[in-house]
Amino acid sequence: MVIVVLFVLLLPVLIRDINRKYTDNWLHRQKDKVLKTVRSQGIEKYIQNDEGFGSYNTLLKEEYVSMDVDSADRKIDTIVNERRLVEGDTIQYRILSHNFKVGKKNYLLEIGKSIDTINETTTPLQNIAFEILLGMVLLTILADQFYSTYVLRPLGRIIRTKLIGHKFPLKTPYRKVHTSTSDFAYLDISIHKMIQTIESTFQKEREFISNASHELMTPISIMQSKIENMFGREDISDEVKERLLEFQRILNRLKSITKTLLLISQIENEQFLKDDSVNLLELLQEVYDEISIRLQEKNIQCNIDVPAGWELEQVNKFLLFNLVFNLVNNAIKYNKENGSIDIVGKLTNKQYVLEINDTGVGIDAEQLPHIFNRFKKFSKSLQQDSFGLGLPIVKSIAEFHRIKIEVSSDLNIGSSFKLIFPADSLKKEE
Amino acid sequence: MNVLIVEDEKALTTEMELFLQANNFLCEICYNGATASEKIATNLYDFILIDLGLPDYEGLDLLKEAKKYNPEATCIILTARAAVDDRIKGLDLGADDYLSKPFSLLELQSRMQAITRRKFGLKHSVVALGDFNIDLTNRSISYKDLPVSGITKKEFDLVAYMLLHKNRTLTRSQLSEHIWGSVVNDDYDSNYIDAHIKNIRKKLNAYGTPDWLETVRGLGYRININS
Repeated sequence: MVIVVLFVLLLPVLIRDINRKYTDNWLHRQKDKVLKTVRSQGIEKYIQNDEGFGSYNTLLKEEYVSMDVDSADRKIDTIVNERRLVEGDTIQYRILSHNFKVGKKNYLLEIGKSIDTINETTTPLQNIAFEILLGMVLLTILADQFYSTYVLRPLGRIIRTKLIGHKFPLKTPYRKVHTSTSDFAYLDISIHKMIQTIESTFQKEREFISNASHELMTPISIMQSKIENMFGREDISDEVKERLLEFQRILNRLKSITKTLLLISQIENEQFLKDDSVNLLELLQEVYDEISIRLQEKNIQCNIDVPAGWELEQVNKFLLFNLVFNLVNNAIKYNKENGSIDIVGKLTNKQYVLEINDTGVGIDAEQLPHIFNRFKKFSKSLQQDSFGLGLPIVKSIAEFHRIKIEVSSDLNIGSSFKLIFPADSLKKEE
Repeated sequence: MNVLIVEDEKALTTEMELFLQANNFLCEICYNGATASEKIATNLYDFILIDLGLPDYEGLDLLKEAKKYNPEATCIILTARAAVDDRIKGLDLGADDYLSKPFSLLELQSRMQAITRRKFGLKHSVVALGDFNIDLTNRSISYKDLPVSGITKKEFDLVAYMLLHKNRTLTRSQLSEHIWGSVVNDDYDSNYIDAHIKNIRKKLNAYGTPDWLETVRGLGYRININS
C-alpha cells in the first residue's frame, strides 16, 4: 500500500524526468544534424556576412533553431530552460546551446523546444501511467479477494469451526473441512488430532475427579457413622464428646469439599436432567426462606424486585436453587452489618437479566478474573470459612443452563452479579 | 422390625447395625448381592437397605427382586455413586427413598420412620411437651389449645427432628445436615442452628417456658421427655 502511494506521488516527477531526457536527446540529435550539415555544406549554408540565422515554426513557435557568431571564448554546451523573445512573444523554451569553431570564427548554435509542447506530451503520459497503475491496484485487490474467499476459504473454515468455535467436551463427531488443497487437509487433521488428545486428557481428568470423589464417600460415610454412634453412647464423657465434635467438624469440611467436587463433576458430565419448569419468583422466595436466618444474623435487608409470572423452562430446579443460593449466600457473607442486597429481574433487549447486587466489601479488580476458579482463595474468603468452591458451583450450573454471568465490583461499595438467561429459556405466563 | 442391610463395606454395616439395634430394630446383614438375593426370596423384612455399588450384583436388580418377593418392605437405596439417573431409575423401580453417602445414621432412621408413617397412615400424632403440643401431622405447635404463631417451616423441622430423636443430644452438624442437606454450598461450619434455636425459644417464650428444649453446653441441643 505504501509503495503504491509513493508511486502515485512520484509519478508526475518521474514522467517529467523521462520526458525531459527524451527532449534533451531530441535536442542533441538536432544539434548533430545541424553540425553535420555545417561540416558537409559549410557554415555559409546558414550564415553569410556574419548575419545570424534563425528559424522557427511560424505559428506556434514550438521549436526554433538559431545560429550566430559568438564572441565569447568559453566552450558552451548546455541545456537549460530559458525565456526567449520571439516576434513579440516571450516563450519559455528548453534550449540547447552549443558553440563551435569554423575557420577562425566561433559560432553559437541554439536549438529550443517550447516547454508548453513538452508538457503537452507529459500530461497524457502521466494520465496513461496513472490509469495503468489504477488498473493494477484494482487487479491486485480482486486477486486478493479471490485468493482469500476462494483459495483460502478452507483455512478460514478450519479456524472458525475447529479452533474458535470449539467447546469442550466434544459433542459433534469429526467433520472433515472440504478442501482440495492437501496442506489444508493436513492442517485440519492435525488440529483434529491435537484436539482429540486434549479432549481425552480432559475426559480423564473429569473421570478422575468423579471417581476420586465417589471413592472418598464410603470412607467418609464410615467415619461419620462411627462418630455418630460414639457420640450417642452414654458411657462417654462430655469432654470426649467435645473432642468428637471437633473431629466431626473436620469431617464435615472433607464431606463438603467432596460433595461439591462430585456435584461439579456430575454437572460437567451432564448427569442432570433439564426437565423442570421453575417459577423464578417462587424460586427466589424459596432461597429467601432458606437463607433468611443468615440475613437476620447480619441485619441485612434483602429486596426482591422481580415481576411475577416468569417461568424458567427446561431447567434443573435443584441446580438452579443451588446457583441462586450460593450467589445470595455470598452476597450475605461478604456484606457489611446492616447492609442490603437487591435482587432485580428485568427484560432487557429480549433477554431476561437477574441481578444480585450487594453492599459488601467488593472484589479487587485483579482478583475479578479468577473468582470462578476452583479452590481459589482470597484473603477475604479466608475470613469466611469458605473453601473456594461456591462460585465454581455457580459457574458450572450457569454453563449447564447456558446462563451468562457478568460480574462487576467496586471495592468497599459492593458487587453485582448479573445472570443473563438465554432468550428461549424464559416464558411469561399469561 | 426386621431390617436387611445389603452393603459390602463391613465397617459401615457394623455401625449401621449398632445404631439400628440401639433403636430396637432387628438387623440381618449381607455383604454381597448373591446372599442378599437368597434372603430376599425366602424371608420377609420391614426394611431393605440396598447399596447400589455391590461388587457382584446390580443393585437395581436386587431392588426388583425385593419388590417381587417382599412387596410390603420399605426399600431404601444407599449409594456413593450418586448418579442422577440411578436415582430416578431407583425411584421408578419402587424404591421408597434414596440416601447418598455419606449419610447420617440419624437421617437414615428419620427417613425410615417417615416412610412408615406415610405408608401405614399412622394415626394423628400429637406429642405433648409440658404445656406445649407438637402436632406432627399438621405440622403445628400449640400451647394449652392456643396455636403458637410465627413458627417457620425450618423451625418446625428442627423441633420435629429433635423430637424424633428425643432424649438424645443432637449436634449442630447433625441438625444442619437435616435441614440444609440438599443445599451444596461453600461453608463447612455454619452456626445458623444457634440462631434458629434462639428464634424458636423466643417464639415459644411468648406463651410459656419450653424447659424441655435443652442446650447441652459445648455439644448441641436435645428435647427431653420423661416417659
